Amino acid sequence: MRRRQYLTAAGATTVAALAGCAELQTPDDNGDDTSDDGTTTDNGEETLVVSTYSSFLDAPSIGPGELVQQRFEEETGVNLEWESPDGQVDHYIQRAQDGASIDSDLYLGITTEDLVRVDEQLDDPLFASGLTIDGQDDIIDGLDFDPEDRAVPFNTGYICPVYDSTETDAPETFEELREADHAGNLIAQEPGSTVGLAFMLHTIYQYGEEEYLDFWADLQEGGATFLGSWADAYDAWMGGESPMVISYSTDQVFAAGDDRDLDKHQIQFLDDQAYANPEGMAVFEQADNPDLAEEFLEFMLTPEIQGEVAENNVVFPATETAELSEEYAELAHEPPEAVTFAYDDLVGNIDDWIDQWDREIAG
Amino acid sequence: MSPSDPRRTVRDRIERRALAVLAVVTTLLLVGMFYYPVGAVFREAFIVDGRATLGLFLEFLRDPFYFGDLARLLRGDPLREVLPSLLSFERPSSIVGFTAYQAFLSTILSVILGVPLAYLLARYEFRGRRTLRSLTIVPFVLPSILVAVGFRATFSTNGPVNTALGFFGLGPVELLFTLEAIVIAHAFYNAPLVARVTLAAWESVDASAIETARSLGAGPFRAFRDVVAPQLYPSVLMGATLTFVFTFGTFPIVLALGDASLMTVEVRVFRLVERFDYAEAAALAIIELAISLTILYGYLRYEAKQTMQSRGARPLPRRPLRPPALTARELVPRIGLGVYSVVAFVLFVVPMVSLVIASLTTDGGSWTLDNYRFLLERQVEGAAFQVQPWPAIRNSLLFGVATLAVALPMGITVSVLTTRRYRGRKVVDVIAMAPLAVSGLIVGLGLLRGPVFGIEFGGYRLIIGGAIAIVAAHAVAAYPFVVRTVAPGLQNLDPRLVESARSLGASRARALVDIELPLVWPGVVAGAAFVFAISIGEFSATVLLATGTDQFTMPIAIERFIGRRLGPATAMGVVLLVVTSLSFIVIDRLGGEQRNGGL
Repeated sequence: MRRRQYLTAAGATTVAALAGCAELQTPDDNGDDTSDDGTTTDNGEETLVVSTYSSFLDAPSIGPGELVQQRFEEETGVNLEWESPDGQVDHYIQRAQDGASIDSDLYLGITTEDLVRVDEQLDDPLFASGLTIDGQDDIIDGLDFDPEDRAVPFNTGYICPVYDSTETDAPETFEELREADHAGNLIAQEPGSTVGLAFMLHTIYQYGEEEYLDFWADLQEGGATFLGSWADAYDAWMGGESPMVISYSTDQVFAAGDDRDLDKHQIQFLDDQAYANPEGMAVFEQADNPDLAEEFLEFMLTPEIQGEVAENNVVFPATETAELSEEYAELAHEPPEAVTFAYDDLVGNIDDWIDQWDREIAG
Repeated sequence: MSPSDPRRTVRDRIERRALAVLAVVTTLLLVGMFYYPVGAVFREAFIVDGRATLGLFLEFLRDPFYFGDLARLLRGDPLREVLPSLLSFERPSSIVGFTAYQAFLSTILSVILGVPLAYLLARYEFRGRRTLRSLTIVPFVLPSILVAVGFRATFSTNGPVNTALGFFGLGPVELLFTLEAIVIAHAFYNAPLVARVTLAAWESVDASAIETARSLGAGPFRAFRDVVAPQLYPSVLMGATLTFVFTFGTFPIVLALGDASLMTVEVRVFRLVERFDYAEAAALAIIELAISLTILYGYLRYEAKQTMQSRGARPLPRRPLRPPALTARELVPRIGLGVYSVVAFVLFVVPMVSLVIASLTTDGGSWTLDNYRFLLERQVEGAAFQVQPWPAIRNSLLFGVATLAVALPMGITVSVLTTRRYRGRKVVDVIAMAPLAVSGLIVGLGLLRGPVFGIEFGGYRLIIGGAIAIVAAHAVAAYPFVVRTVAPGLQNLDPRLVESARSLGASRARALVDIELPLVWPGVVAGAAFVFAISIGEFSATVLLATGTDQFTMPIAIERFIGRRLGPATAMGVVLLVVTSLSFIVIDRLGGEQRNGGL
């Protein structure tokens, strides 16, 4: 114990000397000692550290972070602290791989693909499994994507074509889209982006892993453009480069907010389907406050918060009991049929699918 | 002061050791923030299943997806089948081939667009010349997401360029998402680089040498060819080399402005890193680095052979832009510059103006200040965890100035060390230039797995982060520019200048500061401008090393303000544009055009 204290003190000296530049951590300094890692503040209040993707906190058009924090702190008297590392879930996988400590209690916004990567990269669990929390039964059938109950979905987006009906007719099916007169109108994204990956997975869902590349070859031949990110593609679409883009089924919510002509923002579900991208919450195995984290999960599933977070994040709630405003429900379109690959379908496949796509399109 | 004055001896001692101390500090910074982290990632390329191997490299070399016809040959396909397509001038479809091809085209265009600007700024006097000179490298700092916004607005089917072409009954030109769009965007970034280094050389040309040539009967063209041009070649070639290296490692521009069929090596590295294939990512990045360093090495060999001794310059007098007489000799170059300015206006100015307009319009096309109102609101009402505009501006400036304070001495020290004569100094020089050429994604990964997560030794972890680490990372990324703008000048100085100073008792550092640096001052100022630009524009190391959002900079604020609408991010981009423009003007004014100009 004395040794430990000495090292902590030595660490503190380094910090002071280099003005926050360096810090020396002992191997067992993983936050077991509540006084120096901030799980309790000076006035004795508890602190919950929640990690998420940065647009949940910072993006001007979406971003319910502030709302969630306010409500949760009011309701529980707990301090909520956000973390949003650039690498998102990958950041924590990397930390775990390199034996660095994880000082967060839970991750908000984990996807099926994230979970697959977690399991492919790590032998030891990153997240606690077998969660049972209040409100879990209200989750819409088919959105639950984790067979081990580590991730609990809290919202979902649907990915589909959005088109300018003053410029073009929309294809109603994938088969129509692959024809040259529609394909040439399309701006899509590479599978390196979230939206691009979702749409690629939808084509695999539709055509199977043997034939999806033929579909993409037809799109390419027909003159479709594939850009790097959702923002690039959407900006090009708004600039009138092509009349159709792969985006979210909530597109009209933004368009109405910007006083745009809704005819220019029409949603088209191919084969009456859209690919669902559910986002989940998962508690870190190393969490200092697992009980508090579960309390947060339950809070996120309450009907009022479900509705408000969905509207602020411009997505759909994950529960059947969510309270959405009528206006929102009118502009945000839900597909007649939501499709998505479950965890088991993606394990061991996803990297190959993307690699084959790269080789087909760029080779 | 007498020689025994104690203050003097202390100062002397510091001076005499100054270079050695700087060399040690430079080495430590480079090892800690670059060679060690990058080396740790690269190491994985040589170890598969715990055994040392070159297998991954062989796999890449034999895969036509990466190496095309070369791979087919290595795989054993008969030469006569491969040769026809190997010798054709068509766009290569393999990743490495395409990457080199687009880098080559980008380099040519950057030189074509950069050199005339250097000519205009070096040889003509006009209103606003100094400001234009200061602003030359502004494009260099713009985040690619904003360049993409500007380019898409400028060259879209119904954008200003096609509207103007239509007015003359031409077009429309479908430029976007093609190879051409990528090449032009690369020139947008790199022509300013070529211009700035060429300009520094042009401003160092000694007028008396030309006067001598002219007095010996050489015509103006001959004097240019024999006296001026040889002094410019190394700089132009250096600008070209750096452009090639940068565009060979290009990544976000290709994703934003090019179709997915145009895949570069770095995009592929990104894919491999994303799926945690670190060994393959590292192997591919090493191949990328080897190609870049070979080109750099070739240039450095060439640079070393250029021994033109100079004793410093009395700069060439500038001519008025308005022709003094209506003769062909006066008119032709000015008409050429006129044509050039139209092209430069379209390629450099219009995209930036388009960006400003984008920040001031709604998606519906009407004028608005909403995006700026957002910045203000975020500043005043933003939650503590949110990124706020003012701290981002302040941090960018502070890091920029601090980086200058670190990178300039580093760069000058390395310049001195690599212009001394010893065997293998070009190898040292190439290794010192590696921060320019290593894949940015690998550097980021190395920093993350090294200093950010903690470097393990003896059961403890040394975690490095925060403001000082950010400045160190910026300095490491930026100092090679100082070396490249200062070293050639130092090399060309008459060694007797230093020798005589030393024989009069000056320390090496004193001789450097008092005699050499003033003579290569345009290079120092150009290097400083690049250092500042690199620091202001840096994103990936900053976001990893920052220990809180209160250390975020303008490029990070821009990225964080991207939501489902780009408006607020473009407004922050305009803030970046304005702040950096003003900074460059200040740097150039402080640096002065020619410190010894009055001599």
